[in-house]
Amino acid sequence: MNQKHILKRPLDHTVSRRSFLKWNAVIGGTAVLAGMGLKMGRLVTLAAPSAPPTATEGQWVTAACWHNCGGRCLLKAYVVDGVVQRLKTDDTHPDSPDFPQQRACQRGRANRMQVLGPDRLKYPMKRAHWTPGGGDKSLRGRDTWLRISWDEALNLVAGEIKRIKESYGNGAILGEVNAGMERTLALYGGYATSWGSTSWGTWPDVGPAMAGPYGDSYSNTGNDRLRLRQSKLIIVWGANPAWTSGGNPAYNYLQAKKAGAKFIFIDPFYNESAQVLADEWIPIRPATDIALLLGMAYVMITEDSKTNPLIDWDFLNRCTVGFDKDHMPAGADPKANFRDYVLGTYDGKPKDPRWASEICGVLPEKIHELAIEYATTHPTTIINGGTTTRVHRAEDTAQAFMTLACMAGNIGLPGAGVGLSVHNRGGNAGPSLVTSGGTGVQALKNNIDIRLNQNELWDAVLSGHYTAGKGDSRKVDIRMVYYDARSTLNQKPGATKGIRAHREKLEFVVAQAYALTTQAKFADIILPVTTPWEKEGGFLTGNREILIFYSKVTEPLFEARDDLWIAKEIGKRLGVDVAQIDPISDKQKIFNQLMGAKVMKPDGSGMETLVTITDSDIKEWGVQGKPQPGRISVADFKARGVYQVERKPGDRLGFTEFEKFRQDPAAAPRETPSKKIEIHCKTLADKITAYGWTVKSPLPVYQRIEEGYEDTFYDWDNKVKGDYPLQMYTIHYRRRAHSNFDNVSWLREAFHQPVIMNPTDAEARGIQDGEVVKVSSRHGTVLRPVYLTNRMMPGVVTLGEGAWIELDEATGYDTAGNTNILNGGIPTGQGHAGWNSCNVEVEKYYGTQLADHKWPQRIL
Amino acid sequence: MNVREWALVAFTILAQMSVGAFVVLGLVHAWAMQRYSPDKADQLSDRALLAIGPTLALGLLASLFHLGNPLFAYRAVFNLASSWLSREIALGSTFALLGALFAFLQWRKIGSFELRNVVALLAATVGLVLVYAMARVYMLPTQPAWNTWATPVSFFVTTFLLGTLAIGAAFVATYWWEWRGGRLQGSALAEMLRPVLRTLALAGIVLLGLEFVVAPLSVALMATGGAAASVGILTSQYGVMFALRLALVFLGAGVFGLWLYRTALRPGAETLLGRLAWTAFALVFVSEVLGRFLFYATHVKIGL
Amino acid sequence: MSRQLAFHVNAAVCTGCKACQVACKDKNNLEVGRLFRRVYDVDGGGWVERNGFMEPNVFAYSLSISCMHCQSPLCLEVCPTGATFKRADGIVMVNKDVCIGCRYCEWACPYGARQFNEATGQSSKCDFCADLLDKGEQPACVATCPQRALEIGELSELQAKYGATSQVYPLPEADLTQPSIVITPHPAMLLANANTARVAKPGEV
Repeated sequence: MNQKHILKRPLDHTVSRRSFLKWNAVIGGTAVLAGMGLKMGRLVTLAAPSAPPTATEGQWVTAACWHNCGGRCLLKAYVVDGVVQRLKTDDTHPDSPDFPQQRACQRGRANRMQVLGPDRLKYPMKRAHWTPGGGDKSLRGRDTWLRISWDEALNLVAGEIKRIKESYGNGAILGEVNAGMERTLALYGGYATSWGSTSWGTWPDVGPAMAGPYGDSYSNTGNDRLRLRQSKLIIVWGANPAWTSGGNPAYNYLQAKKAGAKFIFIDPFYNESAQVLADEWIPIRPATDIALLLGMAYVMITEDSKTNPLIDWDFLNRCTVGFDKDHMPAGADPKANFRDYVLGTYDGKPKDPRWASEICGVLPEKIHELAIEYATTHPTTIINGGTTTRVHRAEDTAQAFMTLACMAGNIGLPGAGVGLSVHNRGGNAGPSLVTSGGTGVQALKNNIDIRLNQNELWDAVLSGHYTAGKGDSRKVDIRMVYYDARSTLNQKPGATKGIRAHREKLEFVVAQAYALTTQAKFADIILPVTTPWEKEGGFLTGNREILIFYSKVTEPLFEARDDLWIAKEIGKRLGVDVAQIDPISDKQKIFNQLMGAKVMKPDGSGMETLVTITDSDIKEWGVQGKPQPGRISVADFKARGVYQVERKPGDRLGFTEFEKFRQDPAAAPRETPSKKIEIHCKTLADKITAYGWTVKSPLPVYQRIEEGYEDTFYDWDNKVKGDYPLQMYTIHYRRRAHSNFDNVSWLREAFHQPVIMNPTDAEARGIQDGEVVKVSSRHGTVLRPVYLTNRMMPGVVTLGEGAWIELDEATGYDTAGNTNILNGGIPTGQGHAGWNSCNVEVEKYYGTQLADHKWPQRIL
Repeated sequence: MNVREWALVAFTILAQMSVGAFVVLGLVHAWAMQRYSPDKADQLSDRALLAIGPTLALGLLASLFHLGNPLFAYRAVFNLASSWLSREIALGSTFALLGALFAFLQWRKIGSFELRNVVALLAATVGLVLVYAMARVYMLPTQPAWNTWATPVSFFVTTFLLGTLAIGAAFVATYWWEWRGGRLQGSALAEMLRPVLRTLALAGIVLLGLEFVVAPLSVALMATGGAAASVGILTSQYGVMFALRLALVFLGAGVFGLWLYRTALRPGAETLLGRLAWTAFALVFVSEVLGRFLFYATHVKIGL
Repeated sequence: MSRQLAFHVNAAVCTGCKACQVACKDKNNLEVGRLFRRVYDVDGGGWVERNGFMEPNVFAYSLSISCMHCQSPLCLEVCPTGATFKRADGIVMVNKDVCIGCRYCEWACPYGARQFNEATGQSSKCDFCADLLDKGEQPACVATCPQRALEIGELSELQAKYGATSQVYPLPEADLTQPSIVITPHPAMLLANANTARVAKPGEV
């Protein structure tokens, strides 16, 4: 061996070519593996350069970036001989602000580590102390694992489903399923489900009740990104698009700023979007936005005059009902109008800025200033994140936002708008300009009508009761949970109780997963599944301008199987009609979506066929179909991986919500009883009250809420703080897409999941920056490092949601900082999650804890 | 501190001690030649000379543990043009070669006395330049704690202090060795030993004084020269160690040095003399190791 | 005039998402602990009382940093083996056939650009994605930046376009090594209370 080779040796892979190919490039740290006593010499080490030099040229394959991250971007994998060597993002066309590339974010760029990391689940596993019937349930989440064969795993799962159905009925099976098993279980007689609004807070019921269904009322409204540039003022209220919307949304806002818009951020935290966009930051206590909105309304009402108009009477009169006693909907009490509620005409409590400031913490003068600025600046857009309405009883908050926009007339005008503008469509509202067709697979009916609200889910499992409506408490007896692709235990409020339910009640828990998620960790049987990289291909829609067509990147790893294969295998064992589970082949499904794909005509007049299909395509794919002319060939689409509609300022593809309605309410009426936007909204009041938890006024009114600001006090009137004196709200954290990616070492290294706190609050508690602290609520305790910064307002802390629960069994503390351990699961309103109303205390912690990226990975 | 940094502690301490010992030995030899005779001088210094080689070799060996790829250590001399590290390694190797050559010539008494003298002088010069180069390695503009005149001065103090006391210890060992072999009768060793030890002890005390000027001054220099962070680490984390280091060197070179100085003239007491010389050397050695440890443990780089 | 490639970093638009950092890790196969590109989050300022209410006067910005491919690279000057060299286009590179892993460069570099590869026992660093550049592509970090805050170009041209700022907090004095970087400053860097800036969450960088 000459010297050159001695030096080169450590640079080369130690695996043989054959084993390398066989196992694909499973990447990971050998140090970790060695530390865990595993002998997995075939795993490629990261410190080595990308790949052994190879004569074969690789190819770029469009790889799915499928996560629920708030973005949707193009990712391409460089594959050489079946081995993924690296990723790149969109370079299909030159980049410009008007026609931007769909660039992947930090999470997307870490996908290789997620799919091919050392902690991929490799084989079916059985919990060592589980036996049919439950075994030692108390060991769930801390048991050891035994590798079993697929046949044994499938037989055990089918056997338990059968036993539980026969013993307790289908209602005893909780199906947290949407990746295939929903079909099998439906065919087998049905299953209990859980429900409840999460990301969008209270908007799903408020928007349609007040204004009738509108464009994309649940997740996105306002203007498309080019019209947004017409805004003079953009108020980003409880939103941080830089964190919650991967891809282009933050960049699109930057274009609006460059076009001259002023940005005001209203948020407890001076966030990362504010750091590049904000001209002004108004800190506000969590869960108190309605107080600020009412205070602003008071200013507008009391100071409006002919010479100094602050209210758009023309809009209110033409387009709304319920603002004042002269414009009430039919049958409503004239006294129950919004104006008199705000003025306190009948309750003697004016909702003036001084009243508001005591609750929301914004200086009265600032409330006044903001009200005047909002009322006199047209067009102004309020960009709402979900945060302000992921609050107990926050139907009122959403309703107040809508009401204020109507008062100011900042709605239905290009550049004006109000409401949710989140996720991958954040700042870019409007109907999709390009869509895929359907797969051709029809949904199957679930014949069990047991629907458990997310806030009550684990209570229902433990207590046997659930709320089915007002005055309608019903019995339920859940004996098993099937998790296929849902992260319910980790991602729903009340996880502390969820863990109890797993350790005390449930007889059987099965989870399909590709890594040891919380659901898998607390399961009895784990079935390893493939990721979209290992599937035939498919489509991803993101912002309204793009459709992504991804392809298979790698063969399935180890013994991982497709979700639908599992659904069918279990179906076979249950004796159901397997043909109905997966009636159409993967290729045909993709082809159906290609054939049905549509794209907006350049003049905006309607959709036309996107994909050109020829006889030879049909023959090559081996599918059924008919040739059709379109804009792009199948081969081109597959090679590019994305179709993006090119936008230009002034094109015919712009969008403003309520624009036609505002122009002519009679010609474009709303689907409400009054055909107008209903500020006084009986539909909403009835609907919310009927859920059975809280009573809703037809008006947006202020209510003291569960674990709101007032509840941080033992004695509100004398301002004596209670045991949980701080408010906590939860944020989408950059390390993750909800719970996805939390295990990925590259992202753990980049983002340490700190609890964020004001230095004043820390000082009072003897806490230093960077220390590990104990955060407790009425419902649970977590440990986290603390980031002390004046960017956070005093009295408030925040923590990213989605961390994979890591219980310290000795203390019961979650060392990962999962926010659902702290959130109790308190059902109010429409049964939405009230994550952002939570009271906590933060204390000095005298132990130590390693940074997350130094923890051993969860490798089975 | 990890293995890599301990390797540097070992290398710098041992190399500097070797240079110091070589130079001090040369001075003692010159004195003995003048006062007695070349033969007698050789008798005194030859064995001590042989101890320097292995010490230096050990230091050079230790330096390899600092490298990610020690097999290719030779490449470290490729950049003499601009790298003080290259120069350090080159000078270290040259010093080792010249020292070994001189030791070999001296041992076999090859070549003329003058020739050997020239080689020795050359080796000593290279050794002293080596110590300077070693200091320059650390005098980086991005390392404010190191980038002061205190670095070379303290390196030279270490060099001479350890060299002086090491030579004292070596002479005592030689004496003991000869005594055990029954070769002391008629040897000039006994006659030479006491004044030499006395002088070395005195030199040690003087150097100690210098050390006590340099150590606090270098800290003050750090504080004013943009290395406040280093001072912070020194005082908060390593305050006790710094105090211990000063106490040990004071005890070794000061207390034991003085004791040695006074005992050296007293007839008899050979055992005590030996113990004193060795204890003084050991204490100062430990102190210098601690000092060098602190040198590495408290540096804070400018920037990110 | 000799060529010198450089990065332009627009600190005014960087949200600190670290897509550049992770893209770099993917491109260069970097294990945890080794970062050729890092993003520093900086915050500062405080709260002032107004009519009994506390009002904020705070700021934050992020700065994405890799090797500066300095015009007077100290790492190159001190490298004892000559493994560190500057390409004709100004990229500072490490010759893997020569580096012996003495880590002297790590002491010298004021930007933390030098990252020791424990597996090979050698120094490693950002090489501007020279392999991609040679193919006419952009470095991984530049191509992925969702805010388009990173750009590469000839130093003199970038300076003509964006000015000559090469030293902002928390970067060291540019005189030390003459970094080949052009920074569009974040407005907060020019605030009266900019001196309260500090690196936030230091454990993350």
